[in-house]
Amino acid sequence: MPVNWKKLSLLGLILALLIVLPLVMDLGSNVMNVMVTLFIYIILSQSWNLIGGYTGQVNLGIVAFFGVSTMVTHFLWKAGVPIYLAITAGSLSSVVLAAVIGLPTLRLRGMYFAVGTLALAQAAQTIVGNIFTRTISMPGSFSKDYSLTPRYYLGLTLVVIAMLVVYAVARSKAGLAMVAIRDDEQAAQVTGVKVFKYKVIALLISAVLAGLAGGLYAYVRLSFWQISIVFSPAWTFDALMAVVIGGGGTLFGPVIGSIFLVVLSEIFANTLGQAHLIVFGFIFILVVLLLPQGLVGGADVVRPWVVRTRRSGQQATEA
Amino acid sequence: MLEINHIDVFYGDLQALWDVSMAIDEGKIVALVGSNGAGKSTLMLSISGLIKPKTGSICFEGIRLDKLPAHRRVEQGISMVPEGRRLFSQMTVLENLEVGASVRTARKARFDTLKWIYGLFPILSERKKQSAGTLSGGEQQMLAIGRVLMSQPRLLLIDEMSLGLSPLLVQEISRVIEDINQSRKLTILVVEQDVQLALSLADRGYIIENGRIVGQGEAGELLCSEQVKEAYLGMGLPGKVK
Amino acid sequence: MNAVIQTVLIGIAVGALYGLVALGFGLIMGVMKFVNIAHGSFIIVGGYIAYWLFTLLGIDPYLSIPAVMLVMFAMGLILYRLLFSPLLKYPRAEMRLDKSLLITFGVTWILDNTVTLLWTPDTRSVVTSYTGSTIDILGAKLGLTGLAGLILAVLVAVALHVILTRTYFGKHVRAATEDSGAASLSGVNVQGTYLMSCGIAAALAGVAGVVIVSSYSIAPSGGLDWLLTGMVVIVLAGEGNIAFILPAGLVLGLVQSISTLFVSPAYQQPIALIIFILVLMFKPKGLFASRG
Repeated sequence: MPVNWKKLSLLGLILALLIVLPLVMDLGSNVMNVMVTLFIYIILSQSWNLIGGYTGQVNLGIVAFFGVSTMVTHFLWKAGVPIYLAITAGSLSSVVLAAVIGLPTLRLRGMYFAVGTLALAQAAQTIVGNIFTRTISMPGSFSKDYSLTPRYYLGLTLVVIAMLVVYAVARSKAGLAMVAIRDDEQAAQVTGVKVFKYKVIALLISAVLAGLAGGLYAYVRLSFWQISIVFSPAWTFDALMAVVIGGGGTLFGPVIGSIFLVVLSEIFANTLGQAHLIVFGFIFILVVLLLPQGLVGGADVVRPWVVRTRRSGQQATEA
Repeated sequence: MLEINHIDVFYGDLQALWDVSMAIDEGKIVALVGSNGAGKSTLMLSISGLIKPKTGSICFEGIRLDKLPAHRRVEQGISMVPEGRRLFSQMTVLENLEVGASVRTARKARFDTLKWIYGLFPILSERKKQSAGTLSGGEQQMLAIGRVLMSQPRLLLIDEMSLGLSPLLVQEISRVIEDINQSRKLTILVVEQDVQLALSLADRGYIIENGRIVGQGEAGELLCSEQVKEAYLGMGLPGKVK
Repeated sequence: MNAVIQTVLIGIAVGALYGLVALGFGLIMGVMKFVNIAHGSFIIVGGYIAYWLFTLLGIDPYLSIPAVMLVMFAMGLILYRLLFSPLLKYPRAEMRLDKSLLITFGVTWILDNTVTLLWTPDTRSVVTSYTGSTIDILGAKLGLTGLAGLILAVLVAVALHVILTRTYFGKHVRAATEDSGAASLSGVNVQGTYLMSCGIAAALAGVAGVVIVSSYSIAPSGGLDWLLTGMVVIVLAGEGNIAFILPAGLVLGLVQSISTLFVSPAYQQPIALIIFILVLMFKPKGLFASRG
């Protein structure tokens, strides 16, 4: 397959920048915080991208995979397990949860799957909230040496891993099957695609990614006033929004969407406060209605216009 | 009364009708025949408004139908008995008929229209409280026609009248069609796979193949034409080797 | 013995409310095949409007029902006009469903955050002179608000049934539900019917909200929980069976209530959830589906 060298070198450049920049200059804790948050969102939205964007299954309970991993990672790390192993274990727990939840719910038709996953995530939030009622935090030794830098680099590594995973899946036979299922499940079934098998695969890989995001979050945030917030539907919505706005079923859509989300959050949160969430809701709906391919697809919509104006501009100067 | 001018109809990117034109005079019975998949139903759906042609126009008594959704065309006086009848099987016979009279003017007159329809199809009166799904094939066809008649149409479209019916029932329904054409001066467009049946019933006929009109003329002449004899009449008559 | 009667009474009262909650959701889903995830939020908004009228003007919540219904009806019309009708251009039912899922998820987000902005995340409830009062039935106590909820739920269900079976509009709804194309061919303005149905569904959500704010409490986050309850009821009733919604609600209410005799009340929601999944797996057409 021909390699797009221009694109690849551009990506390489961005990656190199991201790696080198914090080493040579002090970006300040604000910027580092935003970057780490961005990383978490990118990974989580890639997770939804796989099950929702590529496979077309609207999973409204993806936060369950996120939250379970956050908790497992947190407790293992607190118990002395190195953070890398803790996050891995966290992701594994997400996969186990996905296997337990996934097998019954994936047999459900679109709407029931969506609401079923939502219900399970809500149930998880309620149960966790009932069991862990007090603040959960790390012992002082952890917060004393707290630095954003290792978190930044771990986050960056995980983002690269997530992107590679999605890239690999999209190009694989599984990826083709997933897209076929999204476009027309019945037709896929009839042409011999093992629909259930690939839905499960998509869900499991999606869970891994969500677990990575959750584990990263546990690394970043040491104490939780109310642990049940890691199961809040807000995480699901943010991931959904990032994917839908950026463009589902594409490699970079979630990245663009996440950047959009995080940057706009920063800008708006100061001016609009709570209301900025409402604005996001409107943007989300507008994108679903008007730009079904998201911003990534929006480029396709805009390109003909750009070409037209450029051409007419040339004609004007030549005339 | 009805003029179809050079319409092209697409299902998404797939073209189904090419440059189709047709004219139907008031008070006549017109037949549209052709083999399976020729485009007959597509044409009917275009006239009734469930599909919109990409190019060309359809005019009913001088009014362009293009912008009108299906239910508004019913108001104008065009009503269709769709292929497969599409009855509301969860609703009773009476309710199906009542829904047929949804258009305001039809609604006001519905008691009289009901009497007329019970006269045409007495079995419907007997079964009026039964749910439509429990009727036999022939009774369902009668109900489908009755439902359409409730809207007091001036142009009646029937898509595949004889499908799934015994020859006896087909005859009976043909008689009813002729009757309402004569007594109420209803203009009727019939789509039929059974070419013999259609052309003997009609005054005028159109032949459609592969989405294009390939023949038209007086029904009697068409019935005797070489074109029709060769292509179709082997199908309609049992035992005849094609 | 008294405990059992008490449990049954509570189960009936709660179940009736569940049925009421599910009616609006089931109407939109059955008629238009859209999923309104924001239904729960509509309920909460209805509750907040009643709360607001009560705290501001002192109007008893049950008296404010007509006003709440009117406002919610308008919201339902707007929902249809702006967000649902563009979806009709997609011919495939799955695509419409997925899009409606996404869009109404967005609406939920907007409504929940708006409500949080206007009324803070705290829970609110309407406390009136009769809030704690009960009446005695067969030796057990039933809260007055629970009784009111029960009566309202039955009234609404009966009214809906009458509309659907006796009026022309109701016949249009049933016809459009079964076969919207055939309905159009019969002269039914299907889009107009959908529009009205959406308005009615939202108004029903409003009524549920009023009952909830006076019998229990509301909070911005409560919408999703009520939505899920409604969904369980719909699954029990069988998709599209509007007539079975109230009975299905009663079943759910009774099962949950009776379960409190055996397990802690905190597990009621997980129990509902388990029922939901079990029914979907083994009786996907609903509890009452006897025909094959």
